[in-house]
Amino acid sequence: MTSFWAIAYFLLLLVFLIYKTPHIQGPWLFLLRSFFPNWKFFHAVGYVPHLYARAAISLPEGLLQWTDWQHLYPRTPQRLWHLFYNPETNLALAQQNMVDHFWADLNDLPESKDPRLLVSYQMISHFVEAHLLEKFPDGTHHQFELRMLLDSPTETVHSHVMMTSPVVAKSCS
Amino acid sequence: MLLSFFSHLNEAIGSPLVLSTPMAARALEILFAWSASIQIFEYLRMSHAMHGSGLWVWRIQRADIPNAALRQLFDALYAEPVFKVLLWARLLALVSLALQGSGLINVVFLFITHVLVLIRWRGAFNGGSDFMTLVVLTGLLLAQLILNVTEGSLADADLAWRACFWYIAIQSITSYFVSGSVKLLRPEWRKGQALTIFLNAAIHGPLPEKHLLRQTWMATLASWGFILWECAAPLVLLDARWAVLFCLMAALFHFLVFWFFGLNRFFWAWLASFPAIVWCAGQY
Repeated sequence: MTSFWAIAYFLLLLVFLIYKTPHIQGPWLFLLRSFFPNWKFFHAVGYVPHLYARAAISLPEGLLQWTDWQHLYPRTPQRLWHLFYNPETNLALAQQNMVDHFWADLNDLPESKDPRLLVSYQMISHFVEAHLLEKFPDGTHHQFELRMLLDSPTETVHSHVMMTSPVVAKSCS
Repeated sequence: MLLSFFSHLNEAIGSPLVLSTPMAARALEILFAWSASIQIFEYLRMSHAMHGSGLWVWRIQRADIPNAALRQLFDALYAEPVFKVLLWARLLALVSLALQGSGLINVVFLFITHVLVLIRWRGAFNGGSDFMTLVVLTGLLLAQLILNVTEGSLADADLAWRACFWYIAIQSITSYFVSGSVKLLRPEWRKGQALTIFLNAAIHGPLPEKHLLRQTWMATLASWGFILWECAAPLVLLDARWAVLFCLMAALFHFLVFWFFGLNRFFWAWLASFPAIVWCAGQY
């Protein structure tokens, strides 16, 4: 009898995987999403959001001199002992997850709404400013971009800009 | 050779490879305590990312909380010193879990504080490993609730652990089955391209130019190997020997995921669910 229920369960699961079910959203559902795991890891290949940022120095004649766009994509070294303790890699992975969430938030945002009101936008903006300040201490302004990159097994085959932030002057804090 | 391995294993554990309930419960508690302790030591090191110029500043994140009263409560709870105390208290609860076993107090505390830690990271810090940690904790909580409601009679203790193991085993097997099935439905996985693309985008940087997994035939072979193995996960419930073999392969699989993608927490979180799988498979 138990075998019957187990088989029935996994067959039902398969049906739900094939047929798309409605996507339910809400602030508490998002915060408590660990209670509803979907277990779909690394399944879809397609456009992936990447964060780019640049800093500028204000010139005397009022113009801005920009650095090149910096690709803020985390990379960490591979070590065997990281199996037991790996905070920096986990933080880097969480950073990239945050970029994914930012992209998802932008995607769901109604046309009339300002992205700057999004918590994910504010977090990314705060992070970008701090990162650029560390790298370019003399920078007076910053800007970031969310670009969508499509990779093949050998190279990036296409990219487009999904969002460019306004130019922001360095905050006093 | 495989049969001889199983016969030796049978002799060592007791024919026909059935894990006793107390043994499975202890293994699960110790493995879970180890897995969750690693997470806490890592969280304790992440303070710089949660304050000042870090990405995860509560001052900004608090707008995620829709309820004003709860927002104020979380403001107090997520203040740096309070949050640190919370993490150390979790560590103490895990030590008690590993040394003395689970009780209603330590399990309820671990369950609630795990959810609080996840809310601090906007619902999940490390995705799958957070989910599996919560699954094992929910199983332990289920067992403790049943034990306490029924006042721990021997027959009900069996029911409590049965509920715990089946809940964890079904969730763990589902994780493999769903993960394999969704890949089977995608042409880029069936052709082996997806594996190379994900490996190139991984945290440790792209695969070296001459890496074997850049070869289409090898990537296709590896992809099909993972897909078929994951899809076959429900079959482990038919025989405890298959369950042991499956768990050994799963440990290797999670080690490879750690090695290539840096996901060390996945390795330990899933390992904690294996005693439940082997116990359930031994019930037929």
